[in-house]
Amino acid sequence: MNRHWNSYLNKALSRRELLQVSSAGFGSLALAGMLGQEQLRAAAPSPLSVKPPQFPAKAKRVIFLFMHGGPSQVDTFDYKPLLKRDHGKPLPFQARKVVSSETFNLLQSPWAFKQYGQSGAWVSDLFPETAKMVDDMCFVKSMWGTNSRHGGALLELHTGSDTFVRPSMGSWITYGLGSENQNMPGFITICPTQSHGGANNFGSAFLPAPYAGTAIGSVGIAAKDAKIPFISNSETPKEIQRKEIDYSQVLNRKQLEMTGPDRALEGRIESFELAFRMQTEAPELQDLSNETEATRKMYGLDNPITEDFGRQCLMARRFSEKGVRFVQVSHTYKWDQHERLKRDHEQNAREVDLPIAGLLKDLKSRGLLEDTLVLWGGEFGRTPTAQGSDGRDHNPEAFTMWMAGGGVKPGLSYGATDDYGYYSVVDRVHFHDLHATMLHLLGMDHLKLTFRQAGRDFRLTDVHGNVVKGLMA
Amino acid sequence: MLPYVLLFILGVLPVMAQAQEDGPAFFEKSVRPLLASKCLGCHSATSTPIMGGLRLDAREQVLKGGGRGASVVPGKPAESLLLQVVKHEAGPLKMPPGPKMKDAEVAVLAQWIQMGAPWGATAVVSQAKQEKYWAFVPPVTPTAPDLKNKAWARSPIDAFVLAELEKKGLAPAKAADKRTLIRRASYDLIGLPPTQAEVKAFLDDSSPEAFAKVVDRLLASPRYGERWARHWLDVARYADSNGLDENLVYKNAFRYRDYVIAALNKDKPFDRFLTEQIAGDLLPASDLKQQIEHWTATGFLTLGAKMLAEDDPMKMEMDIVDEQLDTTVRAFMGLTIGCARCHNHKFDPISHADYYSMAGIFKSSKTMEHFKVVAKWHEFVLAPKEDRDKLAAHEASIEAKRKEIGKITKRENDVLVKAALQRVGAYLQAAARVKRDDEIRVAPVEAAPGAVVREASSFDSGNVPRELVKKKTNVPKDGKGPYFAEYKIDVPAAGEYQMDILDEEKGAGTADVWVNGVWMKRGADPVQNREASPEADGWTYVAIIPLQKGSNTIRLEHASRFPYFAKLLVAKNTLTVTPKTVVQIATQFGVNPGFLEQMVDYLKRSDGAVASPLYAWEILGTGGKLADWKSPVAKLFEGFTAANPEALAAKYQTLFLQALEKGKDNTDPGLKTLHELLVEKFGPFRAPEGTRRYYAAAVRTELAGLDKQLKDLEAATPDYPKAMGVTENSKIEDLAIHLRGSHWTLGEKVPRRFLSALGGDKVSIPADHSGRLELAQWMTRPEHPLTARVIANRLWRWHFGRGIVPTVDNFGRLGERPVNQPLLDWLAVEMVKQGWSMKAMHRTMLLTSTYQMSSAFDAKANETDPDNTLLWRMNRRRLEAESVRDGIMEVSGGLKTDYTGGTILKYKDRQYVTNTSKGGDVDYDRPIRAVYVPVVRSSMYQLFSAFDLPDPAVSNGDRDATVVAPQALFMMNGSVMLKHSKIMADGLLARADLDDAGRVREAYERAMSRPATAGEVDQALSFVARMQEAWKGSRASAWQSFCKSLLASNEFIYIN
Repeated sequence: MNRHWNSYLNKALSRRELLQVSSAGFGSLALAGMLGQEQLRAAAPSPLSVKPPQFPAKAKRVIFLFMHGGPSQVDTFDYKPLLKRDHGKPLPFQARKVVSSETFNLLQSPWAFKQYGQSGAWVSDLFPETAKMVDDMCFVKSMWGTNSRHGGALLELHTGSDTFVRPSMGSWITYGLGSENQNMPGFITICPTQSHGGANNFGSAFLPAPYAGTAIGSVGIAAKDAKIPFISNSETPKEIQRKEIDYSQVLNRKQLEMTGPDRALEGRIESFELAFRMQTEAPELQDLSNETEATRKMYGLDNPITEDFGRQCLMARRFSEKGVRFVQVSHTYKWDQHERLKRDHEQNAREVDLPIAGLLKDLKSRGLLEDTLVLWGGEFGRTPTAQGSDGRDHNPEAFTMWMAGGGVKPGLSYGATDDYGYYSVVDRVHFHDLHATMLHLLGMDHLKLTFRQAGRDFRLTDVHGNVVKGLMA
Repeated sequence: MLPYVLLFILGVLPVMAQAQEDGPAFFEKSVRPLLASKCLGCHSATSTPIMGGLRLDAREQVLKGGGRGASVVPGKPAESLLLQVVKHEAGPLKMPPGPKMKDAEVAVLAQWIQMGAPWGATAVVSQAKQEKYWAFVPPVTPTAPDLKNKAWARSPIDAFVLAELEKKGLAPAKAADKRTLIRRASYDLIGLPPTQAEVKAFLDDSSPEAFAKVVDRLLASPRYGERWARHWLDVARYADSNGLDENLVYKNAFRYRDYVIAALNKDKPFDRFLTEQIAGDLLPASDLKQQIEHWTATGFLTLGAKMLAEDDPMKMEMDIVDEQLDTTVRAFMGLTIGCARCHNHKFDPISHADYYSMAGIFKSSKTMEHFKVVAKWHEFVLAPKEDRDKLAAHEASIEAKRKEIGKITKRENDVLVKAALQRVGAYLQAAARVKRDDEIRVAPVEAAPGAVVREASSFDSGNVPRELVKKKTNVPKDGKGPYFAEYKIDVPAAGEYQMDILDEEKGAGTADVWVNGVWMKRGADPVQNREASPEADGWTYVAIIPLQKGSNTIRLEHASRFPYFAKLLVAKNTLTVTPKTVVQIATQFGVNPGFLEQMVDYLKRSDGAVASPLYAWEILGTGGKLADWKSPVAKLFEGFTAANPEALAAKYQTLFLQALEKGKDNTDPGLKTLHELLVEKFGPFRAPEGTRRYYAAAVRTELAGLDKQLKDLEAATPDYPKAMGVTENSKIEDLAIHLRGSHWTLGEKVPRRFLSALGGDKVSIPADHSGRLELAQWMTRPEHPLTARVIANRLWRWHFGRGIVPTVDNFGRLGERPVNQPLLDWLAVEMVKQGWSMKAMHRTMLLTSTYQMSSAFDAKANETDPDNTLLWRMNRRRLEAESVRDGIMEVSGGLKTDYTGGTILKYKDRQYVTNTSKGGDVDYDRPIRAVYVPVVRSSMYQLFSAFDLPDPAVSNGDRDATVVAPQALFMMNGSVMLKHSKIMADGLLARADLDDAGRVREAYERAMSRPATAGEVDQALSFVARMQEAWKGSRASAWQSFCKSLLASNEFIYIN
């Protein structure tokens, strides 16, 4: 009864077979149709074809809003009145053993906090727009991790391991559930960071390649210019390319007659058809021009400050709507305020606040928020103590992430930090617990979503992780 | 009927017959051997460790069970955990590891439990007779098998392959035709298609040695090393950047890559190859050239992905050791050892202690210069000893110069700080003024009547270019800062004037302002998020400055660059309240602007916090009450009422001087707190940035001189080539076992040694040796059960597409068993016999009927062995990433094979590399062989990642060959394809000696190594004609379309 999830998923296909099946890449349904072999369809599901969850799920897909650099919890969502009272005093307890820099006395937040909504959630003046959505959000105030450096912490957040290269959570989720759109990758990351682990943060490691995140653009590329690799070329008109492919396919079919049945050769024939379809669908999904003026405004596309991140958020909504399983958008490496906290956190928040609120509103009005899990956060938080005169150091011991939709309890504030926000103390939630909980919301038991590699069954949560039941609606 | 029943009983259910036997006899006959062969390896008193605490070597132990409780409930098979586990019905716990027990064996156990689990004559089952795990037994030459089809077997390889086929009633495929064979061998050995001349020569050679000649020619080609190095580089997880957290460039990694290529080309014996990579630095060298070769080889140990920014240096060091150990053991012995870092290996006999025994070897080796953030890896200087000494001396002199500068800086800063500490009162007053003036918003006057406006380019003197450009540094080549521009401005009357600037570029920091030789305003620091900072278009207010009647000089100055602006304006000040800059206020109060800014900053942050020692000052004018004050300092103010700010400042001044007098020895808590503020590391009286400008002119001159000397010294550093690599550590040490893998919880120390299950604990390592050399010697002993098998299996994998042990990197119990162990063992023995020569092994494997079979499909054989595990035909294989690229380039005629080493990375060593996949920084499409294209971790060349180049984070000897849509997208849109199909088409069209049909034939010969059929020629010509129409008459484009389609076709991408 306790079967290995991957063997269940793949209907006892060996890894080798699995790889051959991935010959179809983004879907082999059409291949089955083309060859007129119904059996092939049953025997060889695409690695991305939809797989049922292990139990009924609240969430079907994920949008992760990644705030690279480490937003400060005590300046955003974790209100600490004592920090103001005791400003300038030393931290009244022992700081972390391993730190990235020395910090000094307590530093009060430069921003005022107010309560919002029915739930009365505290939000600082950095997020006035997002604050209006608090009754749809579920704050996890007690997040913690173990690594105090960006690279290690990013990997811990994305893959669960700060020591080894492991599959990204997006890869695990896509591996577990497949994708609802066979013309698109199942896991897309828009303008991801190239530093601090770079592609390892969205790589599939030992999971088969189709589960790797497909990067659309990267850091330094404006969201409006971000593209899937090799998605188009400027030299060959579409109709001509179609003719070129047709000619190749004539040669391929003739060769197949000579060789006899060969799944790889057949799969490659289909892969060109899929690529051609993807070439049409992906740019359409990225084209925001047919969104209404009101929608564009809601995401801040009319303002140069919010335009880029707004575009990412709007693309994320469009991908999610079309069945892409896991979409990540990145506000890349901006939140690392060792100094100039006041000025730069403010600037950062201005860039993302409105688009985030817009995304939540938009998902809600389309009925998508119900089964889309939105996750917001960085790789760690920041110290309540001052670094230099106007900065805070990394702090993996405590930080806030929030979720919305997808089966989490709206308007909830879960867990707590100490009086100054240095340590997570009540109902602590480690990255592993976050991962276990996300999988649970998606209908998967983190203990059973496994992949056998080098003789061991690997999990996203390694040997850790507890589902945080208290977060769920 | 009777015979039938008998057969039934004896053959199908033997257990039933044995049920009549007495218990002990049944146990001895059926159960004991089963336990011994399947269970006792891990579950007996002599197992290290005893897995799960469970022993199955004595009855009471069986009944007691292990960590999960009783393993057997006598008489109740269904309730016995042992039975559930072997039937794979106990959740994730499935035993034995590897293939499931046969049904008949399970039935024996069930029967035995049903009988009440009787035991045999001796209480304890001995492990002595237990078969040792196959991979831990040294290979011996297997006996030659009996064959039916003796004629087919040309070599022992054929015999072992055929024997397995015949057992299954399978026959080998017929021999491949010569064209197929030469294309196969060429791609296999050199990664490129054969030329037309080579094909012709082979076809024309009817001698029996024709194919042997082809193989020899290919093995002698320098292209061989370029192809086969890539195989080994996968195993060595080769990359040109670090790519784990901090992606720093491994600028010198290419030397290791080139070493591998050269080693293969000169057929360096594998045992020697191994030894150089693990311990090259410890081998005697006859000359510098050989010394360099040895050093470079140890790059193998350094190339891994590392966490370079880890705040815990011990964790960083152990992570690096772990990576080296795991890679070494996996690459050469095909075992996974990583899990023993935290606990005993669950399936292979590798203990927690074994791990730290071997880890001690790498801990005693020096891979890194230091483990600070960001950590620095060690590199060898590839130069003669005297040059290396010279370099070391030079580096020491640079360090000394740095220290000298640091010393003077500290001395001067101390003087500044000491002076500032005497004048806290003045700082408080000045800071209050700055805070007030900061609140005043001044609008630019733009076009005020009588304003003087100057174009930026109209400066009267300066050392910057006339025309300033946005976002540029605007400094002349070889210029020397500070950079400045001076404007002479005439005004009719003396007085205060407002100065504004048009289109100021703020992002990279603004310039200082000087008026008539007096410093007026400090420039702003650069903005962190430049991309996100809006440009300041339009006029911006700068300062109110005093001007004299007649001529004045306004000077804008920046130390290292000169920010862009369009115009400068000066107009009579009309403000009623005039704000001053920090510099102006500092001058007025006689304090230092640097400390003043810090004081302002401190007060802004503190902002009336009741814990602040400056609370009394901070609440001035805010309505705050002294009674609310909660700092120890409050006591010092008891009874004090401030008549005015000056009096309060004076009071603070007095108290701070008092606090300063006793310093740390203050007993009064209030004074102690005040003193803490003065010496606070990040407080207002720390040495401000850019302090040098406040030093005396003579000191500044002295420092500038020293700076120049330092710069000259750095510039004069001799630039010798360097190679990444490992050497012996200054400290040779044994490691303690890290409980649960954590260096915070240490267990007992274990001596440095090797894997005990392979007898590695019998070898002793001298106290002053890390043990790397001894490790290499131990691994390359001919009787080592794994090393030769693992490399022979790898070679087989690379030639045939699948290993004899399919899990090429894992020969442990969780790997797969060899599909043909006699074949593997024969190869391993042969490898040693051939002096570990890889080229000899290539010949041995290629000059066989097995290699030369066709890949033709056979329905009957396919039914018996659909995966072709027994090799009834040759596997059809997709070209690997490198050959896709090199093949396209070679067929087009664009590939340059005269680039034979070096790096095309333009980065400096240890420079950060972020995004190269989008091109730009790295010329990935340069038509040199793919092996020379950099592998940037975490940002890999898109073609490589699309076509399954394994993630270079981990050693990997087995590549996937997926067929996915992104590959098709590359074929449709990739720049390599677009460029080279054009080169190919242009080349064909330039062939005046050919007609169009001849061009089609030429294209087929090049791409497929075969002539086109008449039908194919017709088809192609009509396609070209249609495309020419579609391309509006462009013949070149039509032919390019044809070339694209041909190169995108399956026949080009697959090797039969």
